[in-house]
Amino acid sequence: MTRWHAVVLVLSLAAAAPPRAAAQAPQAAQAPQAAAQAPQAPTFAGSDTCKICHEDIYNSFAKSPHHPLEVEARKGWQGRACESCHGPGQAHTEGPSADNIRNPAKLTAAAADKICLTCHLNQPTHVGRLESSHARNQISCTACHKVHASEPLVARKAEAINAQCGSCHLNVWAQFQRPFHHKLPEGDMSCVDCHNPHGSIRPAMLQIFAANEPGCFGCHGDKRGPFTFEHAPVRFEGCQACHEPHGSANPRMLNRADVRFVCLECHASLPNAPVKVAGVVPPTFHNLLLPTFQNCTVCHQKIHGSHVDRNLLK
Amino acid sequence: MKTLIAIFVWLPVLAQQPAAPAANPAPAAASTTSDAASPVPSTEPALTGSIDLGYVFIPGVGGSYDAYRSIIDVHQGPKLLGADFTLADPKHHWFDTIQVRATAWGAEPSSSAHVEAKKSGVYDFNADFRDFAYFNFLPSYADPLLGQGVVLDEQSFDTRRKIAALSLDIRPGHWWTPYFGWDHDSSSGTGASVFVTDGNAYPVPNTQRDSTDLYRGGVRFERPHFHVTLEEGGTAFKSDQSLYQNPGSVNFGNFSAPLFGQTLDLTSLLAAYGIGGSSAYSKALVTANPTSWLDIYGQFLFSQPNSNVHYQQTDAGNLYLQSQVLFYSSEQEILNAAAEQPHTTGSLGAEIRPFQHVRIVESWMTDRLHDAGSAASTQTLALSPYAALPLSELIASTLVTNYNQEALDIFFDGIPKLTLRGGYRYVWGDARYAFLPPEGLASADQEQLRQNIGVGSATYRPSQKISLTGEVEGASSSGVYFRTSLYNYQKVRAQVHYQPLQSLSVTGDFTLLNNQNPLAGTNYDYSSHQESLSLYWSPRGGKVFDIQGSYSRSDLKSNIGYLDSGNLSSQLSAYRDNSHAATALIDLNWPHGKRFAPKLSAGGSLFISSGSRPTSYYQPIVKLRVPFGSHVSWFTEWRYYGYGETFYLYEGFRTHLVTTGLRLSR
Repeated sequence: MTRWHAVVLVLSLAAAAPPRAAAQAPQAAQAPQAAAQAPQAPTFAGSDTCKICHEDIYNSFAKSPHHPLEVEARKGWQGRACESCHGPGQAHTEGPSADNIRNPAKLTAAAADKICLTCHLNQPTHVGRLESSHARNQISCTACHKVHASEPLVARKAEAINAQCGSCHLNVWAQFQRPFHHKLPEGDMSCVDCHNPHGSIRPAMLQIFAANEPGCFGCHGDKRGPFTFEHAPVRFEGCQACHEPHGSANPRMLNRADVRFVCLECHASLPNAPVKVAGVVPPTFHNLLLPTFQNCTVCHQKIHGSHVDRNLLK
Repeated sequence: MKTLIAIFVWLPVLAQQPAAPAANPAPAAASTTSDAASPVPSTEPALTGSIDLGYVFIPGVGGSYDAYRSIIDVHQGPKLLGADFTLADPKHHWFDTIQVRATAWGAEPSSSAHVEAKKSGVYDFNADFRDFAYFNFLPSYADPLLGQGVVLDEQSFDTRRKIAALSLDIRPGHWWTPYFGWDHDSSSGTGASVFVTDGNAYPVPNTQRDSTDLYRGGVRFERPHFHVTLEEGGTAFKSDQSLYQNPGSVNFGNFSAPLFGQTLDLTSLLAAYGIGGSSAYSKALVTANPTSWLDIYGQFLFSQPNSNVHYQQTDAGNLYLQSQVLFYSSEQEILNAAAEQPHTTGSLGAEIRPFQHVRIVESWMTDRLHDAGSAASTQTLALSPYAALPLSELIASTLVTNYNQEALDIFFDGIPKLTLRGGYRYVWGDARYAFLPPEGLASADQEQLRQNIGVGSATYRPSQKISLTGEVEGASSSGVYFRTSLYNYQKVRAQVHYQPLQSLSVTGDFTLLNNQNPLAGTNYDYSSHQESLSLYWSPRGGKVFDIQGSYSRSDLKSNIGYLDSGNLSSQLSAYRDNSHAATALIDLNWPHGKRFAPKLSAGGSLFISSGSRPTSYYQPIVKLRVPFGSHVSWFTEWRYYGYGETFYLYEGFRTHLVTTGLRLSR
């Protein structure tokens, strides 16, 4: 513990240290980058100029969470918020062609993201970006975030979030049509309750709970433990070792129709097998011809881990 | 708890004072823009939104009412079906906006409420509450007596889970932002469980109650070239469960056959779990872009949950002790146990852009978990009115897992409209667990994880109207933890999105996963693929009609050998699931008239599968909304649920739900 606290302390001191001179002027750090593309001084046209032709977008943008860019001086884009993303627009006003203005919608995902990340990279939201399959598969920020729209910039209601995710993840949404599922089609949960679309340190961009535990425990706290006697798959491979979290035709969202096969497909190794895998074969009194032994969780009811019994019986 | 609420209430108030000057520059800028530029123009009403009030009629449920409750669980009665309000303060005095959302209150299986209050640059407050009903009684899941004609689920429950979350960010948007949060998760209810003894298992009722509270606080430092987030938090956990059988009744359990000429039974039981736990955690997140060609990402996460257990059990009947071949008439057991689980996770990565069209992403991650538990128990068995057998046991257990991953991806977008990616990932780790003293076959073991994974993908976007993405991943393993783990596998995903018109889009999706583990004794052969197609058509902005629909077909085959524990003979577990799923919704709008424009929607979803558990599940729906003026509309909805299983006919059900109500809006 002491060692980790020392690490946290060092990071705290580093963060609290006076910022570098370059960092003290965000305007200076950002505006020159755009200015470097067009050296003439009057390269920025100003948002009022944009409004003349794009009034609907301008009015819509006025209700966007990005609108403070337009009115607050400390962000460095006061009066020219449009050009914070589209780049200097003077040439576009002089020759109103689409070729004279930067349109993120026409850029590659990486190039479009670079514009967003100019301001948003250094935020906790993006700390898992390298693990994000969205980033790796060229899904740009604007695929989900509607920059020009009035509110919301991002969907807030569960139904809207699910519709947005489901528009690309068709096969996942199809799984939710199965009878046993988390309550997404009903609008009681949303995809982001379980997944972090910006990336996560957990597999499948799962949300995390209490620093580094699977987000599943945020709602299923009784399965969290730590247990005196753990069931290894829960810790090694997570809930999806036995469950289909998006939906299943099997009760309890299990990945097999019969409980016994969920268990026996792993519990089939002899202790002295040449290849080591977890899960030994049950003792011989388990007569699989009897219905009692075909329902393993009837007796091994603490299958997620037991506080009391090494065989997960109570 | 009261202190926490006081903090949440007072912090926004206190935070407003010092932050007020920050808003000063805005008026000058705002004065140069039009009224429309104001985030909340003063001409708008302060309160906007809608509320849906209605009544749900359920004429009756045909078939299994327990299955209906396990899957649907909506009840008849008056309800607040939904609410969505925004309260705006034109003067931005205490807040900019307060948004309130609520869904499904009143005898619904799940209800939610959400409040967001914010004042730009001063505070951002969120509160979320959800209440879920968890009911599950499906004999096909756990009915060991089905062969005797008894339809019963011995692992069933009827509980409610309440989830709440509060979060408060102070000075959002500034370069340093303190934040606080509280999350709560609790469950309580009743159910059926099983009391297991040597020689028999007795289904008994149980009560269960658990709660977890998570408290957290931290600070974010956001500067133009780096960001650091530091967070400390902790949890408090409590769980109480009890199994009971009142004296005076005889429970013969799941095994009615005599054992050594005697019939086993349970005449009374009280087993009570008292479990408490806590944890502290630390979190440090870092991002930085020290140069224009380098971005750095890092995380350090540490948690250390622990639990303490006090378990008491008193039972009576004709019971059996296998280890000493003894019958006894009553038992008392007291057990104390504890567990601790330090868990450390770290990651470090960088995106390097050495050339204009090349990006290199390198990342490393480690996840280390160590669980140590011990339990001490004392038992007293009454063999006769004058003889007792004391037993005591001390057991220790450990479970350790170390997971490591290193990945390298290279992206190239030098060819117009095309982005290529190639990558390699190496995953390695080890896991071990042990019990002391050893018992049986599974007392200690150790496994290794070694996987080499290659990835390739291409994204082609010839125009804004069409995009194609393909991704292939293949892995070769020399060690995995479980027989069913991904071993030598291939994943393929392809997606095409085509939008020929602004109002028309089509998306196609294909995924495939093959996994083989050819090792002797395993012979695992798994393959699955899914094909999906979706369509959205909304001509003239949906003024007359719009259509959206999707169809998916999936096919899953799994073959793996296992050992029959009775005679250790090799058997095959074959699982098949071939399914069709479709959703569709057609909206028809009355195009004439502004104040009277009814809207009719029809569609629904269906799921049909064959294979190991053939199932059908239909949910057609028809909705009608008729506005009366600009603030009131009447709506009604018909929905049908039809569920059937070929192998478990007694679990099928069908029912109609009719909802009608009013939407009040302003």
